[in-house]
Amino acid sequence: MELLVDIFGYLSIILHGLVIVAQSMTLGGVLFLVFLLRPFMHLLPQGADLERRIARLTIYSAIGLALSEIAGTALQVAVLMSTVGLSFTDVMQAPFAVCGTVKVICALLLIPCLGKRISSSPLGAFLPLLIGAVELTAATFTTHAFARLSDNTLLLFVEGLHQFGAAIWIGAIPCFVLALAKLKDADGWRIVGARFSRMSMIGVASIIISGSIMSVYYIGSIQGFYGTAYGVMVGAKIAMFIALLLLGLGNLMVTERLRNNRETSVIRLRRFAEVEIGIGFTIFFAAASLTSVPPAVDLTTDRVTLHEIAVRNAPVWPRFTSPDHDALAISQMQSQLDKDAEQRHASAAQANVPGSGILPPRNAEDIAWSEYNHHWAGIFVLLIGLLALINRAGVGWLKHWPLLFLLMAGFLLIRSDPEVWPLGQEGWWIAWRDVEVAQHRFFVALILLFGLFEWAVRTGRLHNPKAALVFPLLVSVGGAMLLTHNHQISNVKDQLLIELTHTPLALAGVSAGWARWLELRLPGRGGRIAGWVWPICFMLVGVILLWYREA
Amino acid sequence: MSLRHRFGTFLIAASCALVSVGASAHAILVDSSPKANGTVTAGHVDIVFKYNSKIDQHRSRMTLVKSDQSETTLTIATNGQQPNELDSGVDLTPGTYTIRWQALALDGHITRGDVPFTVTAKP
Repeated sequence: MELLVDIFGYLSIILHGLVIVAQSMTLGGVLFLVFLLRPFMHLLPQGADLERRIARLTIYSAIGLALSEIAGTALQVAVLMSTVGLSFTDVMQAPFAVCGTVKVICALLLIPCLGKRISSSPLGAFLPLLIGAVELTAATFTTHAFARLSDNTLLLFVEGLHQFGAAIWIGAIPCFVLALAKLKDADGWRIVGARFSRMSMIGVASIIISGSIMSVYYIGSIQGFYGTAYGVMVGAKIAMFIALLLLGLGNLMVTERLRNNRETSVIRLRRFAEVEIGIGFTIFFAAASLTSVPPAVDLTTDRVTLHEIAVRNAPVWPRFTSPDHDALAISQMQSQLDKDAEQRHASAAQANVPGSGILPPRNAEDIAWSEYNHHWAGIFVLLIGLLALINRAGVGWLKHWPLLFLLMAGFLLIRSDPEVWPLGQEGWWIAWRDVEVAQHRFFVALILLFGLFEWAVRTGRLHNPKAALVFPLLVSVGGAMLLTHNHQISNVKDQLLIELTHTPLALAGVSAGWARWLELRLPGRGGRIAGWVWPICFMLVGVILLWYREA
Repeated sequence: MSLRHRFGTFLIAASCALVSVGASAHAILVDSSPKANGTVTAGHVDIVFKYNSKIDQHRSRMTLVKSDQSETTLTIATNGQQPNELDSGVDLTPGTYTIRWQALALDGHITRGDVPFTVTAKP
């Protein structure tokens, strides 16, 4: 179990992200029902049907919340029982486990409350809101706010406000999209659009107020924003938040136009809302990651300066030659261990044990190896973006450009982790204990999948219109993954400088994915503009990768 | 929308934001006695580890690792006055040691690390 602590820690954050998504959708659904749908149900011809569908969506979200919370809490409990030698009962009394239990109970209690019997009773609004408030309160006790050394009450309240804002806005957008799809008349769209705009504004205001206060307490200075991992992640969240605001502004304009012109199309409203869901959920997973990172104010040493960032990111000629595998630090260390063991007639120890918590050794050749990998990945991606643009401009035979992704995936599979099969001694399965290896393999699988799908769609092998959506979805996932992909490096500054490169890559990847989604789903000028945006985002990713340095 | 379609939509929507995550230290060690790579005199050694967050002292762990790789689990004192500390004590003879710690922050995140140090003979 000791060797699985790192990968379990990574899994627990994934599960935490799922919890935040499910929680936001659950609370968002409750708020949508209580404050939008039920008050206006008598004005909407499809009101009763819509209420049933949205209640069902919210119930499924509540089930998702219960399941993901059980899984996340169970994982943490298992790790603690094994590593500290405590009983199940003992660990279940830990604050995080108690809060997890409360959240699960609340999620399960919401299910009957959203059913027909209770929702049509006088307690139909009060009960779900009360249970939702209890759940939200329990959730705040699994955040930084509870563990801080001072100002806990204020920070817990602010944290609650932040999660409430996320729920009433992002969490409720799936309900909004569902409502827009099921309503058939301009009056219905106008009513729902106008009321949801108001709810969203409350959400935005809650997030801005709470986010500002948390920035003061957790980041504390401008240098904290760019000089620490916590600050950089918050910066990425803010960038995506601004994107959401712009999309929301576009939707507000449609809603206002609907008031004066019943013929206004709502397709843009629906498509922008779909993208808001995707970017919003990306922010949720970034938030989950943030809970596992120390606040910037606590890291007073090893912060990077603007000068260091500028020096590291100054353009340089890419590496086109790779060092030998034998020159890498782990190879050399293993070679020495093998030699020593041979002299003692014993079996050699492993130079690197995945999941041990001990960082592997690194030398200048390791840095060169990694830079070479990133630069060639940059060439692949730059070429892909360029070919996609030329293909879009009318050169038909270039439709096979997605095949370059398959080549790139193969390259990454072999070279990303030189200590692992096929180049290194670590076995395929044992290496999964290493978080960085697991992340690289996930990238490879993603790239393979979206490359294959996009090639099949463009060459007419796949006709289902939904198959074309796999590419933008998985590109967005890849972009989201890059947000906190980290290299196992002991030097905190170097690790942060690498993260500072990965963050714009991640944002470009997320933008590319959702621009392609809009090209496919949004008719007219908006879709055409999006169709030029995503290949350019790919080219930008390629250029950033070509400039990548680790020293 | 069918159950399968709705579930699939949710799954895709959730997966589209999946794994933008990374695991790093959360409760960080801000000060320790003995200091990392520091030196203390043989005899009874008080061990005080200070963190940036409140720690669940009962559900955390400290292990003393000797130079021969043998391990001893240290008893952590419950100290309500210093909720951000892991405190213990042990009698040590001259040699090199490592304290391997695992801290459970009150918000449920686990962090671990090593503090190596040397014990010298009494003058």
